[in-house]
Amino acid sequence: MKFPLGRRRGSELDEELESHVQMAIRDRIERGESPENAAANARREFGNAGVVREVTRDAWGWRWLESIVRDLRYGTRILRQNPGFTTVAILTMALGIGANTAIFSVVYAALLRPLPYYQPAQIATLGETRDQTHLPDSSFANTSYPDYIDWTQQAKSFDSMGGYQGDQFIYSGSGNPETLQGGQITASFFSTLGVKMALGRDFLPGEDVPNAPKIAIVSHVFWEQRLGGNPSVVGQALRLDSQAYTLVGVLPKDFDFAPVSSPPIWIPINPTNGLERRNLRWLNIIARFKAGVSPAQAYSEMKTINSQLAAAYPKQNASVVIVMGTLRDRIVGKVQPLLLTLLGAVSFVLLIACANVASLFLARVADRRKEIAVRVALGAGRKALVRQFLTESLVIAFAGGALGLLWSQWGVKLMLAIIPRDELDAMPYLKAVQIDPAVLAFTVFAAVITGILFGVVPAIQMSRTDVNQGLRDEGRGASAGAEKSRLRDMLVVSEIALALVLLAGAGLMVKSVSALMHQDPGFSTQNLLTFAVGLPDNTYKDDLSALRFERAFSDKLRNLPGVQDAAVVNILPLSGNGSTVRFVVEGRPIAQGHEDECNIREASANYFQVMKVPLIEGRYAGATDVADKPPVVIVNKAFATAYFPNEDPVGKRFRFTYSDKQPFREIVGVVGNENEGQLDEPVAPTLYLPFEQSTESYMNFAVRTNTEPAALIPSVREALRGMDREVPLIAPKTMDQIVAESPAVFLRKFPSVLIGSFAGLAMLLAMVGLYGLVSYSVSRRTREIGIRIALGAQSADVFRMILTRGLQLAALGVLLGLVAAAALTQLLSSLLFGVHPIDAITFLIAGLALGLVATFACLIPGRRATNVDPMVALRYE
Amino acid sequence: MKERYRNRIELLQGTLDLLVLQTLRWGPQHGYGISQAIRASSGDILRVDTGSLYPALHRLEGEGWIAAAWKVSENNQRVRVYRLTVTGRKQLASERSRWAQLSDAIAGVLNPNGKESEA
Repeated sequence: MKFPLGRRRGSELDEELESHVQMAIRDRIERGESPENAAANARREFGNAGVVREVTRDAWGWRWLESIVRDLRYGTRILRQNPGFTTVAILTMALGIGANTAIFSVVYAALLRPLPYYQPAQIATLGETRDQTHLPDSSFANTSYPDYIDWTQQAKSFDSMGGYQGDQFIYSGSGNPETLQGGQITASFFSTLGVKMALGRDFLPGEDVPNAPKIAIVSHVFWEQRLGGNPSVVGQALRLDSQAYTLVGVLPKDFDFAPVSSPPIWIPINPTNGLERRNLRWLNIIARFKAGVSPAQAYSEMKTINSQLAAAYPKQNASVVIVMGTLRDRIVGKVQPLLLTLLGAVSFVLLIACANVASLFLARVADRRKEIAVRVALGAGRKALVRQFLTESLVIAFAGGALGLLWSQWGVKLMLAIIPRDELDAMPYLKAVQIDPAVLAFTVFAAVITGILFGVVPAIQMSRTDVNQGLRDEGRGASAGAEKSRLRDMLVVSEIALALVLLAGAGLMVKSVSALMHQDPGFSTQNLLTFAVGLPDNTYKDDLSALRFERAFSDKLRNLPGVQDAAVVNILPLSGNGSTVRFVVEGRPIAQGHEDECNIREASANYFQVMKVPLIEGRYAGATDVADKPPVVIVNKAFATAYFPNEDPVGKRFRFTYSDKQPFREIVGVVGNENEGQLDEPVAPTLYLPFEQSTESYMNFAVRTNTEPAALIPSVREALRGMDREVPLIAPKTMDQIVAESPAVFLRKFPSVLIGSFAGLAMLLAMVGLYGLVSYSVSRRTREIGIRIALGAQSADVFRMILTRGLQLAALGVLLGLVAAAALTQLLSSLLFGVHPIDAITFLIAGLALGLVATFACLIPGRRATNVDPMVALRYE
Repeated sequence: MKERYRNRIELLQGTLDLLVLQTLRWGPQHGYGISQAIRASSGDILRVDTGSLYPALHRLEGEGWIAAAWKVSENNQRVRVYRLTVTGRKQLASERSRWAQLSDAIAGVLNPNGKESEA
């Protein structure tokens, strides 16, 4: 009450009291007192001005507080007298507010809470791409090491730049060797984010150059759980990939970095072994704008630098374009539309809950006519009545809000539980979802808004009550509540319409998931076990030792009971990972730097048979395509279509352009389009080199089984241990599991589950509303029904009369809902797959389902109406 | 001076509201005017303490029985002027009848025998 209203009122009071004194003085002077005496006497008569001011101020505060306390006390008493009504209303609001709070807390954590870095809005992402790359999302474009170095030296728009790249290590601690995620970073990475070490030091300039000493920084969790949380471990050695890395620092507890899933281990980049090439783009770049530099200015400077680099290095950079984005987009870009959709969907549930409770309140208007009339007769003003009823609705809303806040915590847990682990690791900000002040504020805001929303209409209705009629009317007249019941009809109709929109949305999402699951990935996902093996470079020093391992282990796998065959590929399909390569076709000269670019994979000769990818033309790689024989290559159909549209690709030759020493490779076969990216993306042109001719130490195994593939994991693990105890089994998963957990499926499945639950809730609430309305009208019309039956109406007629009324409302709701859905499902289109936003069948099913449930909701009160005993009904008066 | 103080009567709880409302029946008035009017019309017996008057005025305003507005007086001074509202008029009527009941009741207590008092 003190600010700012109180201050103004306070100075006005001072002026009012002073004017009193002035008038008294003037009167005394007129009566003949000397001015001095007049002033002194008037002030004395007035008394202690300070005390007067104080007691007058009390009069303001008290009134205000007193009436609220009185309203609250009266409200809770009334609510306690109707425990059934109150419970239903509070539970309904708790459902609505709880679901909204849960979704909001996730949205807040993901989209609104600042990223845990210094001035995060100042951090941009930079990358290089080419039109020839077929990159589905250019915000994931990488940069080459020499280009990055040139940027850091030339760009004036940035305070600093840093680079990162995901990595994996075999960590040999006290127990068995295990695979850990890691990050390779430039020395400037953490300082660009503005992160300070909790312990030890950051990497220093000069520690991220070729062949620098091996050092590492670990996450706080790793330090606590694996290193005993002992500060003295800084300076000691960690064994990673059978090599010693000196631990120099420990990250702060709250640090996370979503793009590489907040790994436990970070090491400086070591740009050697080809990583120093200008045309190998592998670093993800972040950059902090200088104060006062706009993103547009920075971008135009980067474009200038880029064209200078293109002129200086046409072979590598001629067709390179710069991509700039925000770090937040990089982190939440994919889930943002999903979360906003969910927030929109869940707000419908809240609206329905409000409509339901408003409808309950309206029903009570009629029952409380007498009470209201008495209060009006006793002098209660209209304002006081509205305030009284708003207090009641706010009490309900806040009780519902408090309960909803509890439920929301449970809801958030449930929501996070259905997110696959890998996805959750990529969204570390969700692990910190909690009730923070913003969420609390949201809940309070939701409670106030909904309290007013469902309270104000009934309150105005109530305050309009005519005293005389209210006192006379026994609250049973058929015509008296006509306006109110029309209002309730409207509420129930809009509830049904809203529920239909959610139902249609859920249907579209479910259909998208199903379309995605039936999308042909180009290979057979059933009975396929996959896992990875990374051979440490210092024990498997050359390709031959890696090949020997691969041959021996593949044989061992084939001999396991339940295994049909096993193949090797460097990167599994549907992973969305992998590299691309530039090439020129023999006899097709092309300007330097403008070569075509496509996905490149290395696969064992039997890979396509194991994956069941059909051979379209030519042959698979064979036993003869080994290291010292002419290099061959298999291409997919998309490759053939893109680069040999009117020719037979088999027999054609091309060479890679990253080195002049690269030989020509002959295309010996064309295979079907195995999807290397995501299920919702078109298949990109891909070429496959035989593993025997292009070996890697990191290999993925694909094992085709006769039985449930997951059951074979223990024997596979045993077989690997028999090969080399130092090599861990990485990420053993069935292909079906990989598909189910893939981002493309997750992005549809998650909202389909949630919107589905919201639709279920919405339907339940709307049906409760419809049921309540129809049974209320039956109870109000008991007398009328009694008369009809007494006059000879058959129970079937009465039944039909009640049912018709309910179903008319339901039909209107469904109709309006269909129109609204047709307009609103457009907003879903970025999440839909293989289904039109206005899918006739989905809409039809949603409408029918709602109609069917609505019929059930009307049946029970309809049945009750037929049981009305005319004698009892007529005596009722 | 002392004599005059003895003649003053402590106002009964709640009667100040009645007096204020009744005073404002004759037209809008500022706080000083109200206190002067009550004093004059009670033959200088009822003197309203400013420490009671202003809280009462602000409380009545809060109830919506009177409304206030700033006006400029004939002496060119800004004064806060109160007027009776419609609900205030109703309130005055009910307070008056309550007062009538109360004074009847008190008179009854003081004179248990009606006839005796008439005699």
